[in-house]
Amino acid sequence: MTDLTPITALGAAKPAEVSHGSLTLTERPDIGLASLALRKGVTCPEGLPAAGEATDRVFWIGPGQWMIEGPGQADSDFAAQVKGDFPGCSVTEQTDGFSVVEVHSHDGAAAIEALLAKLVNIDPVALAPGCAHRTALHHMTVFVIRRADDQIAIIGMRGYAGALWHAVDLAARRLES
Amino acid sequence: MLIPHPLLGLRDAQEFTYLGDASLMSRPAPEAGEAAFCDYVFLRDNPAGVHRELWFHEQGDRSWLVVTRDTVTHEILGAELASDYARSSS
Amino acid sequence: MSRLSGGLIDRDTPLNFHFNGRSYQGYAGDTLASALIANGVRLVGRSFKYHRPRGIFTAGSEEPNALVTLREGARAEPNTRATMTELFDGLVARSQNHIGSLEHDLLAVNDLLSPFLAAGFYYKTFMWPRAFWEKLYEPAIRRAAGLGALSMEPDPDAYDKGFLHCDLLVIGGGAAGLAAALTAGRAGARVILADEDSRFGGRLLAESDTLNGAPAVDWVAAVCAELDQMPNVRLMSRTTVFGAYDHGIYGAVERVADHLPTPGACVRQTLWRITARRTVLAAGATERHIPFADNDRPGIMLAGAMRAYANRWAVSPVPAGDKVAIFTNGDDGHRTALDLIAKGVRVSHVIDTRTDAPRFGDYDLLSGATVTGSRGRKGLRAIRVAQDGRETWHIVGALAVAGGWNPNVHLASHHRGRPVWDESALAFLPHNPPMGMVPAGACVGKGGTAEALADGMRAACAALAELDFSAKPISLPEAQNASAAQAPYWHVPGTRRAWVDFQNDVTVKDIALAHKENMRSVEHLKRWTTLGMATDQGKTSNVSALAVMAEITGATIPETGTTIFRPPYTGVALSVLGGGDTGEHFRPKRLTPTHGWAKAQGAEFVEVGPWMRAQYFSRDGETHWRQSVDREVLAVRRDVGLCDVTTLGKIDVQGTDAGEFLNRVYANMMGTLKVGMVRYGLMLREDGHLFDDGTCARLAEDHYVVTSTTANAGAVYRNMEFARQCLWPDLDVQLISTTDAWAQIAVAGPKSRALLQRIVDGFDLSNEAFPFMACAELTICKGLRARLFRISFSGELAYEVAVPARYGQALMARLMEAGADLGVTPYGTEALGVLRTEKGHAAGAELNGQTTAQMLGLGRMVSAKKDSIGAIMSRREGLAQDRRRLVGLKSCTPEVQIPAGAHLFTKGATQSLKTDQGWVTSACYSPHVGGYIALGFVENGDRRMGEILTAANPLEGQSFEVEVTSAHFVDPEGGRLRD
Repeated sequence: MTDLTPITALGAAKPAEVSHGSLTLTERPDIGLASLALRKGVTCPEGLPAAGEATDRVFWIGPGQWMIEGPGQADSDFAAQVKGDFPGCSVTEQTDGFSVVEVHSHDGAAAIEALLAKLVNIDPVALAPGCAHRTALHHMTVFVIRRADDQIAIIGMRGYAGALWHAVDLAARRLES
Repeated sequence: MLIPHPLLGLRDAQEFTYLGDASLMSRPAPEAGEAAFCDYVFLRDNPAGVHRELWFHEQGDRSWLVVTRDTVTHEILGAELASDYARSSS
Repeated sequence: MSRLSGGLIDRDTPLNFHFNGRSYQGYAGDTLASALIANGVRLVGRSFKYHRPRGIFTAGSEEPNALVTLREGARAEPNTRATMTELFDGLVARSQNHIGSLEHDLLAVNDLLSPFLAAGFYYKTFMWPRAFWEKLYEPAIRRAAGLGALSMEPDPDAYDKGFLHCDLLVIGGGAAGLAAALTAGRAGARVILADEDSRFGGRLLAESDTLNGAPAVDWVAAVCAELDQMPNVRLMSRTTVFGAYDHGIYGAVERVADHLPTPGACVRQTLWRITARRTVLAAGATERHIPFADNDRPGIMLAGAMRAYANRWAVSPVPAGDKVAIFTNGDDGHRTALDLIAKGVRVSHVIDTRTDAPRFGDYDLLSGATVTGSRGRKGLRAIRVAQDGRETWHIVGALAVAGGWNPNVHLASHHRGRPVWDESALAFLPHNPPMGMVPAGACVGKGGTAEALADGMRAACAALAELDFSAKPISLPEAQNASAAQAPYWHVPGTRRAWVDFQNDVTVKDIALAHKENMRSVEHLKRWTTLGMATDQGKTSNVSALAVMAEITGATIPETGTTIFRPPYTGVALSVLGGGDTGEHFRPKRLTPTHGWAKAQGAEFVEVGPWMRAQYFSRDGETHWRQSVDREVLAVRRDVGLCDVTTLGKIDVQGTDAGEFLNRVYANMMGTLKVGMVRYGLMLREDGHLFDDGTCARLAEDHYVVTSTTANAGAVYRNMEFARQCLWPDLDVQLISTTDAWAQIAVAGPKSRALLQRIVDGFDLSNEAFPFMACAELTICKGLRARLFRISFSGELAYEVAVPARYGQALMARLMEAGADLGVTPYGTEALGVLRTEKGHAAGAELNGQTTAQMLGLGRMVSAKKDSIGAIMSRREGLAQDRRRLVGLKSCTPEVQIPAGAHLFTKGATQSLKTDQGWVTSACYSPHVGGYIALGFVENGDRRMGEILTAANPLEGQSFEVEVTSAHFVDPEGGRLRD
């Protein structure tokens, strides 16, 4: 184990968390990420989600491309583990490429959908639970995953973590007022 | 505008980066020579009407699409993945 | 107070407000306009050009006259329509466009000068002398003609934006819109109902009509309550849909807090981008007037507006006892008379242009009569009526004018669908509306209450049928269609000025003059007279002007044509169009992994695209940035320096054909690169010019990591995806960006190996084991996964070390700590630029899209053994024969700076395009050389070493002498890199 101390994408020692009304935003630096791409002639492993969809630990990011999530595995060599799970596929380490913000509503789907309407131009019908899309948010590119009726994850590029947090936090704060 | 992404359905054109005439996919073979490349690089149709054009889903799944669009009315007549289009037309 | 009974105001909630410094009272539910009329205030502003006294003319967003400056200080907002301003307690408003008081405007003299200010006066009167235009005429005109002034203070309020999606967007919440929304809502469709008013109902709130035998507002309230309960319906009042865009996208502004004294924690307005599968346009209609001599006096008002003030706001246009007259060309004007009489207002006459005018009640009717003049400088006192060739004056306090209704076709014409004239409706109706839009109700000429309700329902059913919803007809309330019979009557002929467009002061005479001056097409008429070009876009004037024009030319209205409308339907504030991100959040900032550390070190930052990069690290005692930069540069050349280079684009390339793919996208050979080695690469555009440069590291047989310049990271990735998907889809290669995943730190300088040796976990860094251009995956700092590249941008022994981004900051701190005794120094982008310039490495200024590999002296890198993007075209004659070469330039006077961008000439030669010898790309002070140096492209530069050239900057009249040298000011043999 290295003797260097990591920081979160927001530049702090501990992940950020804040609540506005019924919405709670949580930074999730613990999630390991690795991208998976199919090689030519390799049959697609079973259980991978279709275009625009997400399963428990995997979301679709492009034709023949997925992102694998490993909660709690950010400090392990998560890409190596994924490579073992999907032999013959191209795997790229992505844990530190992104900043994951989970938004949980204590008041059902309505607050989540109101927040999404202020952030992304995706029809809420296409963001039902189990859906995942990459889209624009305040001129940044993000993945939006609808984990459940009352929960979304917004995953943006790490360098933009501060700007992303600001955008989501401000939108949630304004919904409260 | 809304682009009918073949995998993701209607998506706002703001997510896309526009390139232009889909004839850019028909890159000449190297032995075709300089004149053929000159045509390929510099000469393109710019029709007032139905046009096949390349759009990149940059704020999305990073697919290149071939979109058939009427440049007069902006009506979109179809869209397919460029990789499918390239394979089927080669 | 001239309040009537009834109305939709809340008499239990009185509100105080100020207009031009005087205090007044109104009620909740009032607009500023209704409250002013209730207080007997008739004069509210001065006209644009002639400074004529003006009053409130309408009761809606079409208002041309009653523009006021609302609020004070930074929140002062000019040109706000009093008719759309909801009254709140403490509201402060001021009139505009006068010098001195509103009552005694010094610029009223313009009215006397009107013969000089007719149509096109700008182009005629003020042409000569030429020198006067900018110095005298323009400032004087700008001062005299115009609207309100900005506060010149920053807007203190917040704005935001959002995105909505629906099956059916209903624009307008009047009878047709409510019926459409209810039909669609009950069918289960996702509906958005938007209306610019603060409450739904449209004209139902303004008329005395009943629905199901009860006041119409009861039905409106019941429908709104039902819609509000539906989860699939979103009700948006105070929301103006201002534009129709392609494929069912609409722009709308919701005035979230404009009705409050201050927004508090709310945003003030929200810009909504609505994507609607189908749209019902139920935008209603706008009443037109009938121009007659001196028809612009305060107290003269549209008849429908006067009715609305009486019915909705319980306001009489005159003090109790005074009389009101109505001037009309149809039955609709008579409704105003009946409603006023019912409310106890005295009606003097109904003056109907029709000789066979019907009578609907007990009032004096003058058939076949017209109004031919008026009196009352600051408010109407009398009108002159002509009947049977006789003219008589009548004392009235107000005049209602009813000239028919113009359907609000605006949004239907946003995609160039030209409205068509309907002779039976005497109106332009929507034609070829945008895809998916179904106009309904008064905006298609079906303005009767019963027909509007039915048409709204029909439109919703028709729109939803295309979406496979089976919308069932709803039971509509029992309603009437008031008679709308009218006879065309467009203006009262006369010799005095009769206003058509109040806001831009355009009269019937101006139209006649424009015609005389051969401005015959409608578009020319518009531009010559400025008719319809004010902030109201001519909502109350365009059609009347066309009719007048048709009459003058003897053509029909359809022959005369019509103009169409552009977004926005009503004015939209730039602050809300901006979407609300201002100041430091104007655009998202991208921070490097060591940003916090650099900030703590006192770094100055510079924007590089979205990235914030450390520019230099000032130390105590340094008073000028050059001192910091020189120190940093020298430290790298002498000891070792550290620079965060994370911003370079990183793309992970994998697949069995990765090598072949890179051979095709890079000009040089990449497939032959050995695992564990890095190669510098050039990318060309297909036209043969340089596109980008970077490095290509082979981590495994089927795995490369390539880098691009910071600026081109997005474009390089996009281009590589283009090559992969569009050109060679059969190659087995996968791409993904990993720019943010790895914190990458350049460790550069003669002591870099010594420093790195202290942090690697037993990795052999010797030149033999890890030579120049080697790369490896290893661990550092007791087990942290890292990548090490022995590459150099500075020309010194150098490495770049990459770790997972979360450790970037800790690694930087550790390197600083571990290298303290080695003189380790952080350096920023300025020093980076000096170091690479001293070494002659190309960067953005050398890769400007007009240069080639040959010009950089790298022509041989474009491999002839393979095809690659741009290879063929790079060999075409024009590029192959280009003899400009990258050289170094030394200032002959070392302390004199060479400006980047300067053009180079042979010493003594005339300076022209023909004699141009090249240009300076990058320039800096070189502490290594001890003087100013530069890079540049020079004709035959490689053969002109030692020659003295002139660097000219004609913009500043400067000229400098420079000596041509090798671009490698430092270590031209490259020994330091390879040590």
